[in-house]
Amino acid sequence: MEATVQVFWTPKKGNTPDEYEDAYGCDVEEGRYAISDGATESSFAEIWSTILTQKFVTTPPVGEPPEEKTIEDWVTPLQREWHANIMWDRLPWFAEEKARKGAFATLLGMEFFDDESDDDGVMDKLLFMFKKQKTAGPRWRALTIGDSNFYQIRDDEMITAWPLTKGIQFTHRPTLISSNPKSNDTIWNQFRFQTGEYEEGDTFILATDAIAKWFLDRVELGEKPWRVLDQVKTEHDFETLVSELRAGLKMQNDDTTIISIHWEEDPEDE
Amino acid sequence: MPYSAEISRTNPSCFIFLIDQSGSMVEPISGGDGKRKCDVVADSINRLLHNLIIKCARGEGIRDFYELAVIGYGAQVAPGFSGPLAGRDIVPLSEVANNPARVEERIKELDDGAGGVIQQKTKFPVWFEPVAKGTTPMGGALDLAHHLLSGWCQQRNYSYPPIVINISDGEATDFGPEPQAEALTSLHTSDGNVLLLNIHISGENMTPIVFPDNDEDLPDEFARTLFQVSSVLPPGMRELAKNESLDLNEGARGFAFNADMIELIRFLDIGTRSSTMR
Repeated sequence: MEATVQVFWTPKKGNTPDEYEDAYGCDVEEGRYAISDGATESSFAEIWSTILTQKFVTTPPVGEPPEEKTIEDWVTPLQREWHANIMWDRLPWFAEEKARKGAFATLLGMEFFDDESDDDGVMDKLLFMFKKQKTAGPRWRALTIGDSNFYQIRDDEMITAWPLTKGIQFTHRPTLISSNPKSNDTIWNQFRFQTGEYEEGDTFILATDAIAKWFLDRVELGEKPWRVLDQVKTEHDFETLVSELRAGLKMQNDDTTIISIHWEEDPEDE
Repeated sequence: MPYSAEISRTNPSCFIFLIDQSGSMVEPISGGDGKRKCDVVADSINRLLHNLIIKCARGEGIRDFYELAVIGYGAQVAPGFSGPLAGRDIVPLSEVANNPARVEERIKELDDGAGGVIQQKTKFPVWFEPVAKGTTPMGGALDLAHHLLSGWCQQRNYSYPPIVINISDGEATDFGPEPQAEALTSLHTSDGNVLLLNIHISGENMTPIVFPDNDEDLPDEFARTLFQVSSVLPPGMRELAKNESLDLNEGARGFAFNADMIELIRFLDIGTRSSTMR
């Protein structure tokens, strides 16, 4: 199978593109995708969300599911990387005090495997091989914290919504992962992990909270919002759609990001 | 729905703090371990400005979600900033952040997690100094706030309405405060009327009355007058108060009577925290 991948993003209205604090990462070859929503209340959140997504697509935490300690060990060097990215001695007093509180972000990472692909890490590979014997066909696995969400569409129906399944579940206080170790004491058991299968024709949509909530709200009204997103072909289309939804109060004014992954038959397999 | 406008750099909101600087402010505040009212109020305002600045700090700068003024009233009614901002009235938050009068180093006591206390040095920027001299020209202070905000509301018609917080320990000695307060709270943006919150602080050890929805328990005419001129809290602020375990009814007003030090700080926190900042 071959993935057709599209990414669209737009900053919240009133902000410039360099103030966009979501981030995304894609490695189509390895079948890894990640999306992160940097908390706008924190400073340097865009650096943190970028580090989290880039690390996930290059070296995700191993294990099905990864153990709490594994995730914590995975995050520790990323916190140091965030810290090293800030010019501390240039910051005025208020900016330093704010930055010392740390940046906060969500993370949703997905990996896709089919029979041909290699997995990551020896232990992981063994686990995967074990699983593969039991489950035929291509599989996905996802790890998340916070309220970034994904949807799996098959035959014009939504067959998976994860981790949130209802629009009302989007709150203003999701659990976030921080660049400051002191703020992460209680989060490690709040990472969630899920696996599933996919097949040709399936589409996956990874989304940060504003558009993810709109999506579920529409599904709850009996609509098929993936058809709307299917019409989006260019950045301009996306910006127009988001502007209209914000103006109609159907979507909150926030940084907005989607990754759309559509699985098709690989032409080389024909 | 009123009081729902998004607070942004394009449409910032505004705080005006009216601070009683009359001679009686040298007396100790209830619950303050002998601290003078003027010192506790100055510390509370400086800490509030500090917290607001940290809240609006992003990256290397400040996002100007707010503009603010501090007006003192006692021997005179005048802008209350010290240092580089002396004499200025409404100032964008970034200018406030970059221009404290001085930065003190204070010792903060923290729980060491093992039953003890550790001391940590913290920076304490000061913009507003304690003053206690003269009478209580509250009417004049409300007049000045009205003057400043009538222009502001015209310019910022799409903004979340300004919030005026008046902190005093006694009755107005000039010609106020009802007509001035009524004029002030009749100003509005498209999102609602100017909100006037009044905090009466006390030196006596009496039970504070906070966010009342009627004047039945208020002891005298002065307290009832302040209640009458205080705005009904918008739903968002009532929710914030509920999160602080305060059970408020729908008509609850932005008013505290006989507030001690703790109630003063809590009142200021609820009155200046916003859930609509973007």
